[in-house]
Amino acid sequence: MSSETILEGQGIWKIYGELEVLRGVDIDIRRGQTKVIIGPSGSGKSTLLRILGFLEPPTRGRVLFRGRDVYGEGLDLAKIRSKIGFVFQQPSLFRHLTALENIKLGPRLVLGMSDREAEKRAWEMLKLVHLEEFADYYPAQLSGGQQQRVAIARALAMNPDILLLDEPTANLDIELTWEVIEVMEELARKGITMLVVTHEIPFAREVADEICFISDGVIQECNEPEEMIKNPKTPRARVFLKRLLGEV
Amino acid sequence: MSIVSDLFFILQGITATISISFLSFGIGFLLGILLAFIRLYAPKPAALLGDAYVKLFLGVPVLVFMLLFHFGFGQFIPFFKSAYFSSVFALGLRSGAYQSQIFRAAINSIPRDQLLAARALGLTDTQILRYVVLPQAFIVALPGLGSEIALLIKDSAYAFILGVLDITKYADILRAAYREFVAPYILAAMLYIMLTFPIANYLDKLGSKLKKKYAL
Repeated sequence: MSSETILEGQGIWKIYGELEVLRGVDIDIRRGQTKVIIGPSGSGKSTLLRILGFLEPPTRGRVLFRGRDVYGEGLDLAKIRSKIGFVFQQPSLFRHLTALENIKLGPRLVLGMSDREAEKRAWEMLKLVHLEEFADYYPAQLSGGQQQRVAIARALAMNPDILLLDEPTANLDIELTWEVIEVMEELARKGITMLVVTHEIPFAREVADEICFISDGVIQECNEPEEMIKNPKTPRARVFLKRLLGEV
Repeated sequence: MSIVSDLFFILQGITATISISFLSFGIGFLLGILLAFIRLYAPKPAALLGDAYVKLFLGVPVLVFMLLFHFGFGQFIPFFKSAYFSSVFALGLRSGAYQSQIFRAAINSIPRDQLLAARALGLTDTQILRYVVLPQAFIVALPGLGSEIALLIKDSAYAFILGVLDITKYADILRAAYREFVAPYILAAMLYIMLTFPIANYLDKLGSKLKKKYAL
């Protein structure tokens, strides 16, 4: 693959006090790619995603956005963040704003769109996640799955170069998980660059270009979905996947 | 004098009572937001200074400040020669301390993941405060602000000690001049209830309603 590298982490360490959460992670995501990260809880997945989203600086190592060392060059973090869509595990909608207003806020304030432009854009995004009829609903009136879809629409409204999703379905029951996964699959097929932490193996199998297994703060191995699922090389990945797929 | 004429006599003080309460609330509102920001976001020395300010006004009766401003500072500063403005100022400064507590708690109640989401969108800290934190914090603060207005309406009665012609003062004049010992004070109490209860109750209800609507 020769397409442009959107995000790249080089030798990323994150240390909180005594705790080494990440211990030298190298990762890159190219334009159009869908990459999935799996791994046991506490392995540093969320921390890695927050670092790649420039929401937290690494203790050591470099994070490159489209080839530029963001911290090294002292680039404007708010500006870089606006080009990276982020969807969190917790529903993080602004609770005093309707679904439509949630999506409009970024384009209005950060991209400097007029109210009318932002509104048009927000409608397009709502359509993308199949929630037009819920435009005027407040987050409290939406299901967890609908909230996550609005959160995806909100992130996409910024027209980001990449979408980072941190276990977006971990707090949802099976039915709601499915509707969010379906939206994510559609986005992957549209060619939107995505890095997803998830344990939805069917999703990974369907659309991921690569699955990376992270454990103990290190990426143990990366491989194409079928290969990773059927034939993991490291013993840890083997055990983890067996448990995940319910084969134990 | 009849009860009705007593009532009309005491009502002359209502303008002073209301205006002192609302002016001091306004001062306290601006000061409270500013102090809350300082205590939450300013560098440590400034934040500690903010904490000290709040402790001072929580720990000293507001009447002491009213007396100090009027009879003390009034000796040198023309502004404090006015009993009215000394009262407004002292109550406003204390209300700032109280309201900073209310706003700080309200701001802290906004879930962190909303702030992170706003940051991820590329909003600046100021934009996050203005468009995400404050609108929700105000809703959370409404019941507390209602109690604060009620408190100010009640404590504005201290102004009578400085000689301000408020509800309490007019009631006391009836005692002194006409030797009516019971009715004037009961009438004054009823007026205070009529002022404090609807405002506090309305803001409390409104706050609860909006909190429920937005699930804050």
